[in-house]
Amino acid sequence: MDRVELQQRILKVIANVLKVDPKEITPTANFAFDLGADSMQSIELIAAFEEEFGIEMDEERAREVQTVEGAVDFIAGYLK
Amino acid sequence: MTSSHLTEQQVQQLVRQGCTATDWRAVSIALSMDLQRFHHVHFFGSVVVGDLSGSHIVDEVEMRCGIYHASISNCVIGNHVRIANIGSVIANYIVEDDVVIQNVAALTATPGASFGNGVEVETINEGGGRTVTLVNDLTSQVAFVQAMMRHNGDFSKRLNELLRKHAQRSVSDRGRVGTGARLLHCGSIRNVNIGPYAYVHGARSLENGTINSCKEHTSEVGADVQAKLFVIAEGARIDSGAILDKVFVGQGVKMGKQFSAENSLFFANCEAFHGEAVALFAGPYTVTHHKSTLLIAGVFSFYNAGSGSNQSNHMYKLGPVHQGVLERGCKTGSFSYLLHENHIGPFSVVIGKHYTNMNVPNFPFSYIHEEDGVSKIIPGMNLFSVGTVRDGEKWPKRDNRKAPEKHDLIIFDVFSPYTVEKMRRGRNELLRLHETVPKDKSFVQYGGLQLSRLLLKKGAKYYSLAIDRYLHGKVLDAVLRHGKSIKQWEELLRRLKPTSDLRAPYEWTDISGLLTPRERVTALERDVASGSIGTYEEVRKRFQEMFDHYVEDEWQYVCVTYAAEYGVRPHEMTKEQATQAVQEWEKAATSLHGMILEDSKKEFGAFAHIGYGVDQSDEIAQKDFEAVRGTIDTNPVVQKLLGEGAAIAKRRDEMLRLIEVIS
Repeated sequence: MDRVELQQRILKVIANVLKVDPKEITPTANFAFDLGADSMQSIELIAAFEEEFGIEMDEERAREVQTVEGAVDFIAGYLK
Repeated sequence: MTSSHLTEQQVQQLVRQGCTATDWRAVSIALSMDLQRFHHVHFFGSVVVGDLSGSHIVDEVEMRCGIYHASISNCVIGNHVRIANIGSVIANYIVEDDVVIQNVAALTATPGASFGNGVEVETINEGGGRTVTLVNDLTSQVAFVQAMMRHNGDFSKRLNELLRKHAQRSVSDRGRVGTGARLLHCGSIRNVNIGPYAYVHGARSLENGTINSCKEHTSEVGADVQAKLFVIAEGARIDSGAILDKVFVGQGVKMGKQFSAENSLFFANCEAFHGEAVALFAGPYTVTHHKSTLLIAGVFSFYNAGSGSNQSNHMYKLGPVHQGVLERGCKTGSFSYLLHENHIGPFSVVIGKHYTNMNVPNFPFSYIHEEDGVSKIIPGMNLFSVGTVRDGEKWPKRDNRKAPEKHDLIIFDVFSPYTVEKMRRGRNELLRLHETVPKDKSFVQYGGLQLSRLLLKKGAKYYSLAIDRYLHGKVLDAVLRHGKSIKQWEELLRRLKPTSDLRAPYEWTDISGLLTPRERVTALERDVASGSIGTYEEVRKRFQEMFDHYVEDEWQYVCVTYAAEYGVRPHEMTKEQATQAVQEWEKAATSLHGMILEDSKKEFGAFAHIGYGVDQSDEIAQKDFEAVRGTIDTNPVVQKLLGEGAAIAKRRDEMLRLIEVIS
């Protein structure tokens, strides 16, 4: 999967979990500040990414990810 | 105290000092007494007075013992007592040695009074049916089983009888003010026993109660307190306008700032300020500090109420008959609302307003929150809250009780057979749901709450981590404990064999602070119902035995659960399996610890900086934040957590070395 496709799928997951318009999600958007994710939604996001890509992430490290771009990089690491 | 009747000459002297008596022949005074220490005393009926030599410091001034400006009726007054300025009368009291009673409106007892003992408190359910009988040495355990185990009519009836009988022992024709007690500047005190060294000052009115107290931990009832039908235990402190009506106040409890309580019980180390309690069963460490907080018709323990926490127990149908059970360690956020009935699992956090009846006792350590009016649950999320870790550490340290006998029996463990078994049930239920809920559904409705499908597996994973950490950790603790003095693996395994004889080691219960296998409580129930337990003391003794058995019972639970989870019993493990257990333990402990550490670091994240360095640059905001909150590198909680992280690896190495050297 190339990075563009990966990003598209990630945006779809984010939009779905955080109930925001995908058009409003920019690569530099911060999950908490810009997209309004609280700590509970953060867990849902991690679970949703895991389901979407069939991976199990290191949750401690996953929680350190703060931006959409960061999430793309982080998940890409699991799909190599 | 040797007293004798007064001579004619002595009577004349007392008369000259403004004293009167209905019958001077009924007045006895210690032989060596200096009669100058009686001024304007009016004796009614039989009065015996000890040696009133000496003095006390009262309101920063040294004042002589003696009786001044007081009417005394049918009393026995001990040695070195000072009584002064009694508005009405002291009647029917035994005043022990070294007591000061000054500027008190009245201190009277009615023959046959029970001093709060035997008062029936309609706790938990305002509609009745969960009555608890007040006695001086009421414990959270006895109160809990009396209130909550109503299914067994014979047990209930018999226990009620034992309590009534025990309460009867306090019935007396005279009240008592214990040695060293001080009663200063109070309103009317009627049918109230005051324990040794109690300090009662500025109380507005006290009626039908007992203030238990002891030298090791004195009790204090202070300014503007109004209390009727109450029992206060040793070391309690109630002041600043608290209003109590049918209330038990346990050992080490702090209450005040206009808190009002009715039909409520507060056990060890509770703190209650500003708010209101009605039909509350506040188990040990229930804390409510804020105005607008109403705790009503519920069972709580190790609970923290955010400001404005509220519950309702009334649907305007059959009256206020609903109840709530928040198991140990729960918290409710600011202006949270719960609709009783509900039953919430231990160590859960409730945020928001909930208009649904929740029933989730087997989802411990959960977050229950509200989104657009919908109540939702995230199972296990509170497992990695740094707050939960801090709570677990603070409670034992904050045990205020200094009385020689601690009434409430408390097992402080956050992770215990009780919570671990609930996590196992929760995990299994989540996995079952994960298997059965279709993927096109975003949530499932469970126990009145919405549960995100995505979190089913996640919650199960969190529970598994905590279960693994607990079970492997307990087994490895035991290996370490015994292994240091043993050279043979077989000998070590013999030591790991459980010694408890439980038939159902999985079934545990929380008796308001005491964690114990259910079958021990069932045995108590049976023995009380059959009459083979015949006194209140025996009931308490049985609870003490449960407490004493905890470690042994816990070990049996660990052994059977370990076998159920991992297919091997600890006392049948090979060295290879023990090595694997170390690795599994390390994995679970590291993972949970990492998430807790991450949670603690959030306190230093971007949101945490909001409001610092107001109207100034980011740099100043950062400096302001650091000046007030410190940094990750200086914060003691974070540093402690970092140290604990390092300790995991150290412990792993220690265990692996030990397993290796045993042959």
